[in-house]
Amino acid sequence: MQSIGGPIGKWLLTIVYGREMDIETVKERAGPREFSAKDDMPEEYRKAATRMIQFHANSEIMGAYLERPFIRQAPSLERKLAFSAKTQDELGHGQLLYRAAESLGIKTRDEMLDELANGEGKFLNCFHYPMESWVETPMIAFFVDGAAMRRQATLKNTSWEPYAHAMDKVCFEEGFHVKHGEAILHELMTGSKKEQEMTQEAFEKWWPRIIQFFGPTDKQSTHHGFASEVGLKQMSNDELRRAFLNSYVPKAEKYGLEIPDTPRITKNDDGTYEVNEDDLDWDEFFQIAKNEYEPGVGQIDGRKKAQEAVAWVRESMDKHEQGIYGGGESPQAAD
Amino acid sequence: MIWEVFRQKKAGDYHTHCGNVHAPDRDMALLFAEVQHGRRMPTNSLWVVPKDEIGEVDTEDVAFGGTTDKSYRWAMTYNFEAAAEEVAASESEQSEAEQQRRSVVEGDD
Repeated sequence: MQSIGGPIGKWLLTIVYGREMDIETVKERAGPREFSAKDDMPEEYRKAATRMIQFHANSEIMGAYLERPFIRQAPSLERKLAFSAKTQDELGHGQLLYRAAESLGIKTRDEMLDELANGEGKFLNCFHYPMESWVETPMIAFFVDGAAMRRQATLKNTSWEPYAHAMDKVCFEEGFHVKHGEAILHELMTGSKKEQEMTQEAFEKWWPRIIQFFGPTDKQSTHHGFASEVGLKQMSNDELRRAFLNSYVPKAEKYGLEIPDTPRITKNDDGTYEVNEDDLDWDEFFQIAKNEYEPGVGQIDGRKKAQEAVAWVRESMDKHEQGIYGGGESPQAAD
Repeated sequence: MIWEVFRQKKAGDYHTHCGNVHAPDRDMALLFAEVQHGRRMPTNSLWVVPKDEIGEVDTEDVAFGGTTDKSYRWAMTYNFEAAAEEVAASESEQSEAEQQRRSVVEGDD
């Protein structure tokens, strides 16, 4: 559909597909799982949903690449098995989400994967930072996955039905990831003094990035308004960050991690936590958001190389598919 | 030809298989599905799919989930109190799925 542009194209589309829903109707109807591929959604909605789901899909893929080296570096057979299962899950989540994004008719999966390879595809800030040591793994596998799960649980009620359906399966699987991450954290924090110190160091390095996971404050967030008005997004960045802190600060403290002094975090009278946003490095965050942060570029290129290395697999599968369904004939059972 | 029918109860739900119909083409299949499967059961939408287009693999062919111990894939294996309600929800879904798997394997379902 993308190739048909201009007023004539729009007119043609109207003839072929009927009238698209206007934005006001979308906002009025926007409830959980309200819209699917058979609804003629306005382009503004389809673009916003594509941006959001593509970002999510890219993040699953980049997260898997970040953790992949630790299949090899795992200290025990159990950890090796769990890490390979988890990495496999994350890549699967990426595929599910590309399908959900594709169903909006804006971009194909191939286009999105190419965008990720050439540095246009955006993804979560935390996955732009390389991970060097085993003690860093719970920072992703417990805290970042925990933060992601908080967000994903709310997205079960997103208005784009295919996205919500993808979240059902993602959330089902994700509980294992977070608890496995917690098991590693527990193991390290009850290990030798050296292990505990190294884990604390890793925590201090990752903590501000983890806080920034939920993005800028609502005031600075450019896309929040529309996405929440049309029911794509269910909770604001600030609400999600607060909910995350309320669950995970006590957990961190329970395992003996010291919460770093910056960013300043205050405890309210009702026991909830608040973070001082000005203490965070937003220049770095927005540099990352543009895919211009140097270590992150390395992550993107690393994945691109891996994708190129297995191009022959995709090509042979495409050829095979052409052999079966190609040649202008429709699939057998359509007669 | 035969068309398999999938019914969705209400918007946002999954389409689940509910039966099949004989019909010479897709439009007739939809009409028959409507009459046979959409009249009394709560229905928001129906899908029809040519039977020949459906691929199947079952327990005769494979052991779903494998034959080795894969407990490392389950949240319940990691014996900690869930960090947040969504983690607990995921764990109870997994626990339910595992129990159902077990009862099917052991034949008391």
